[in-house]
Amino acid sequence: MGNKKQSASVRRAEKNLTIGLPRAMLYHRYGALWETFFQQLGVNVIVSEPTNRRIMEEGAALAIDETCLSAKIFLGHVQTLIGRCSYILVPRITGFGVRRDMCTRFSSLYDLTCNVFRTSGQKFLTYNIDEKARSDEETAFEKMGEFLGFSQKEVKSAYKEAKKAEADQRKKQIRQQEKQYEKPGMKILVAGHSYVAEDACVGKPVLDFLEKSGAVVIRADLMDRKDALKKSTQMSPTLKWEINRELAGSIQAQKDKVDGIILLSVFPCGPDSMASEMIIRKNRGVPLLNLVLDGQEGMAGIETRLESFLDIIRFKKGEMGRG
Amino acid sequence: MREAYLGIDIGSISTKGVIINQKNQILAKEYLWTEGDPIGAAKRLIASLEKQFDKENYEIVATGTTGSARKLVGSITGATVVKNEITAHAVGTTTFYPEVRTILEIGGQDSKIILVENGIAVDYAMNTLCAAGTGSFLSSQAKRLGVEVEDLGRIALQSEHPTQIAARCTVFAESDLVHKIQMGYTKEDIIAGLCRAVVQNYLNNVGKGKKILQPVVFQGGVSKNQGVVAAFEKELKCKVQVDENGHLMGAIGVAILAAQGKKRKKFDFAVEDTEFRTREVCCGKCPNNCEIVCVYRDGELIDAWGNRCEKGEISK
Repeated sequence: MGNKKQSASVRRAEKNLTIGLPRAMLYHRYGALWETFFQQLGVNVIVSEPTNRRIMEEGAALAIDETCLSAKIFLGHVQTLIGRCSYILVPRITGFGVRRDMCTRFSSLYDLTCNVFRTSGQKFLTYNIDEKARSDEETAFEKMGEFLGFSQKEVKSAYKEAKKAEADQRKKQIRQQEKQYEKPGMKILVAGHSYVAEDACVGKPVLDFLEKSGAVVIRADLMDRKDALKKSTQMSPTLKWEINRELAGSIQAQKDKVDGIILLSVFPCGPDSMASEMIIRKNRGVPLLNLVLDGQEGMAGIETRLESFLDIIRFKKGEMGRG
Repeated sequence: MREAYLGIDIGSISTKGVIINQKNQILAKEYLWTEGDPIGAAKRLIASLEKQFDKENYEIVATGTTGSARKLVGSITGATVVKNEITAHAVGTTTFYPEVRTILEIGGQDSKIILVENGIAVDYAMNTLCAAGTGSFLSSQAKRLGVEVEDLGRIALQSEHPTQIAARCTVFAESDLVHKIQMGYTKEDIIAGLCRAVVQNYLNNVGKGKKILQPVVFQGGVSKNQGVVAAFEKELKCKVQVDENGHLMGAIGVAILAAQGKKRKKFDFAVEDTEFRTREVCCGKCPNNCEIVCVYRDGELIDAWGNRCEKGEISK
């Protein structure tokens, strides 16, 4: 983690200690937690701007071909923060327990990022959540705070505040989703990782198009995580990946309330390729569209698929003549 | 004066057009190659339709466009309806085959399957990131074998022992094909194998997990290939119907949608003599650097698209 020779107190005394947060990947899951934690410690935070074409292209140039689009975008965001902050936060999260694994991408991201930017002189900050090493989130945050030179008491209280902010934001988002059901129009449940659904260049154009076409978008990733995990066992008791398990549970809980489901993923996402197939097989009868995005320039192919998917639902509901 | 409706389907490979009356009867039809020039193809199409069209008794009151160039041609023809090709095909086919349960469609660069219940489309699938086994694949392989793509079907039917050709991926299928040629297999057997590979590819990719129920209707340009039709019948073990106007179903469907639509706008055949030009500009007002397509009629900007945000909006 950063420069080992430098003592913790020096790090803390560093003028304008600034932490950079790439607006990609787990930022879309833990953004509120991170921002509040650092702000509570009196540390400056900068967040990279929403994804644009240039970030995407530069990220793709930095990554190997085989990695997923979201990881490429992540590297593009890191690139924009290089030299603008003391540390860039890249957590390492392997999982939270049995059948609660995170994609291997999240175990490797810290090492991978350090390696890609090894000649930049940029320092990186991490925290490690690893069930097997008995390192849960709180322990990991304490270690990270300690590394930055803060007392245990300061870190503990900052973490507590951060957890509260995270829960508040979550509650607000969940309430917002529930309100969506009150709107008129056909309800489309969009199930994708938050970092896919929220990305300005990937998921957002899809959500915007759906709304412009008169659909009410409900995001599967914005459901209470505990409830979703519980529900997911009804669809699959053995699904291995934490986030996919949440999405599957959310689909299970909401599939009877919506007119159609869109599985939104980026190419080539390993966990999604398995989980989506399972979801499709176990939910025959519900209109379902499996949309895999790969960062192509044109939206035309995607629009064709979305438009015809909505038409099929309208046909079914009798809102469109059969000709 | 009776009402008539124009439907144009501009695909990657071919351009199709029909004019229908209120009873969905075809008054004029045309099918020609797009040749990488959708505007030119649309003009040629309109010129040909005009020759067949009875202007004394009918007038076109609504126009629909579909296919991958639907937006561009919709803009130059002043279309009242611009619809995706899946919806257009579903509407067209269910009008003529209300009892149909499965529509198979293979076009130039994409393929789809539409499942129908009680005359209403209920589910569909489309080839995803891969264009394997579509019409353009057959065209390039026909060229390699030195035969016309139109003759593929007839030649395939002469084969008694179709050779095995890898069906998973176009690239592998092609190397397999070259290998078979070099090994000395007859042209008939190779072409029949090719037709079967297209069918297996389709069923493994687009048709994966879909229940294919009878009656089955097959359309799109590739449905003109009897070899592929025969291979489908063998694989599915049921009759596969091909309408003589099957390749026009998208155009018919969008003409019907235009007829059903509320918008009315008289179509002017003068389009065929008007000069249209497109120009691509890079916006450059933000890091997205969107590519914006501008369409001009006789030098005057009539439409533009491609911008992601209002910064790139081009006013007419």
